[in-house]
Amino acid sequence: MSKLPGILETALDPKARDWLATAGAELEEKPELLPRLFPQLPRRLGRAPIGEGRLVEGDCQIDLAPWRACDAGALQLLTKAPGSDRLDLYRHGDMEECSMVLRSMAMLPLDVNSAALLGEIQRSNTGSHFEAGALDSNLVIRALEDPNCAFTQAEFDRFMVKLAFSDLALDRVFSAERGASADLSRMLQDLASEREAAGRRIWADTARMIAHAPIAGSLARILGGLEHGDERIRRAAIQGLKVINRPELNIFVRERLAHEAHSGLRALLATLIDPS
Amino acid sequence: MPIFEPHIHMFSRVTDDYERMAEAGIRAVLEPAFWLGQSRTSIGSFIDYFDTLIGWERFRAQQFGIHHFCTMALNPREANDDRVNDAVMEVLPRYLEKDSVLGVGEIGLDDQTAKEEKYFIAQAELARSHDLPLLVHTPHRDKKRGFQRCIDILKDLNFPMQRVLLDHGNEETILITRELGCYSGFSIYPNTKMDPDRMVRILKEHGLERMIINSAADWGISDPLLVPKTTALMRENGFSEAQIDQLVWENPIGFFEQGGRLERKDLEQPARIDRRETFTGNSVLRGQEP
Ligand SMILES: [Zn+2]
Repeated sequence: MSKLPGILETALDPKARDWLATAGAELEEKPELLPRLFPQLPRRLGRAPIGEGRLVEGDCQIDLAPWRACDAGALQLLTKAPGSDRLDLYRHGDMEECSMVLRSMAMLPLDVNSAALLGEIQRSNTGSHFEAGALDSNLVIRALEDPNCAFTQAEFDRFMVKLAFSDLALDRVFSAERGASADLSRMLQDLASEREAAGRRIWADTARMIAHAPIAGSLARILGGLEHGDERIRRAAIQGLKVINRPELNIFVRERLAHEAHSGLRALLATLIDPS
Repeated sequence: MPIFEPHIHMFSRVTDDYERMAEAGIRAVLEPAFWLGQSRTSIGSFIDYFDTLIGWERFRAQQFGIHHFCTMALNPREANDDRVNDAVMEVLPRYLEKDSVLGVGEIGLDDQTAKEEKYFIAQAELARSHDLPLLVHTPHRDKKRGFQRCIDILKDLNFPMQRVLLDHGNEETILITRELGCYSGFSIYPNTKMDPDRMVRILKEHGLERMIINSAADWGISDPLLVPKTTALMRENGFSEAQIDQLVWENPIGFFEQGGRLERKDLEQPARIDRRETFTGNSVLRGQEP
């Protein structure tokens, strides 16, 4: 049993609750009504947040913080009309409908349209849609690891490059490191040098991601990160070194530890030298 | 003072217009679905256009701080075209539930044919079942008769007049609509159809109640700043700020909020501006730094 309906229930006023119950009952009778009910969700249930914290149900993991009443309502309506065409709802939906379809995916089983929808997000540059569909859940890695889902490694790689390009935090794609690949590392390293050549900031999590599938140049980039002026890049370098796990490199770790000013990073460095 | 421009076809305007409109105080626009200058040959073109009105165009407006709303309908010209008319009627119920769709329109009469009347009636019924007000385009040719015909149809249907906006009015039609209880729309053009001078004279004579002015700007010779230009002329002619506010803010909002989807508080601030955000791969800025 999912906890979300209960969480939503307490967040709604009686009028909104009634509307949702009626809409759900109508859908069980006539699932074809979904395209007409779906756009009403924001004005019927509102856009207020419904909670926070990590929610794990079956294979699905989400961060509840970005979920709004209308998103949880959308999930509920989609559950009442299980065969519904989510791709159609996205393609002919307004800005809010697109967000609601995409966010709901994180709590639904993958279906024939999941890969196509992930493709839509990949081609869309609407920040709020990328966020709703790709971030704060394990949807993307779930799609990659499901052999029945047509979402390929090449698509995952391009997805991660887009994340890097948009300077979004790696942690927001849950378990993304499980999808690391040599080709992704190459693209991330190319992006980093392109940015550096232009005098721009690189994606802070570069070292962390490439450490999971190192290629030529990865190690030097990670080690260089230890001495970087940007605290986020140093953190990623330390985390990357931990993944690489080569004790002979601890000489650089000790050097940095001797003059690292940030206490949190000092503690992190220390765990590399003494893993206990 | 903010302005609600209640009839403009931004689909056919460029970004400079949005910029100048925002500078002139236009905070919200309503874009009625209309004829695109040439006939569409299939329903797909309508669907793409409707998707643009609720998606891209809305997003484009927001980047200039302007709230964007629309009305949806089968326009009177293409009501005559059997390649598309019934198919558009089939998809409309879905689009009429979208949040930014504040009415059914523009429906109406153009050449005043039997088919135009058939789809006029069917769409008035749609407005009723979706609880939306009705934006009615009145013909430019044989106007007086067409105006009267629109009114007769609505009376036959028993459609509530306070939920009807009869647009493209003039000195003669106001005599017909004044007593009806409907809203009277006036499209101000940079030519002889209706100019700011004549508009101010009409307002002096007939007052401001249920009066609405717009530029109806599209791909023809038109000027998206004619509403602010008219308010400037009103000021010169002694209208107070409160009166101007009633005409270009309270009246259009009062009309369109009857559908229950327009929230006044959402209009208190300009639309969110984030020029870094782009839509389906298209950036208005095309790679420039915001
Ligand atoms: Zn028009």
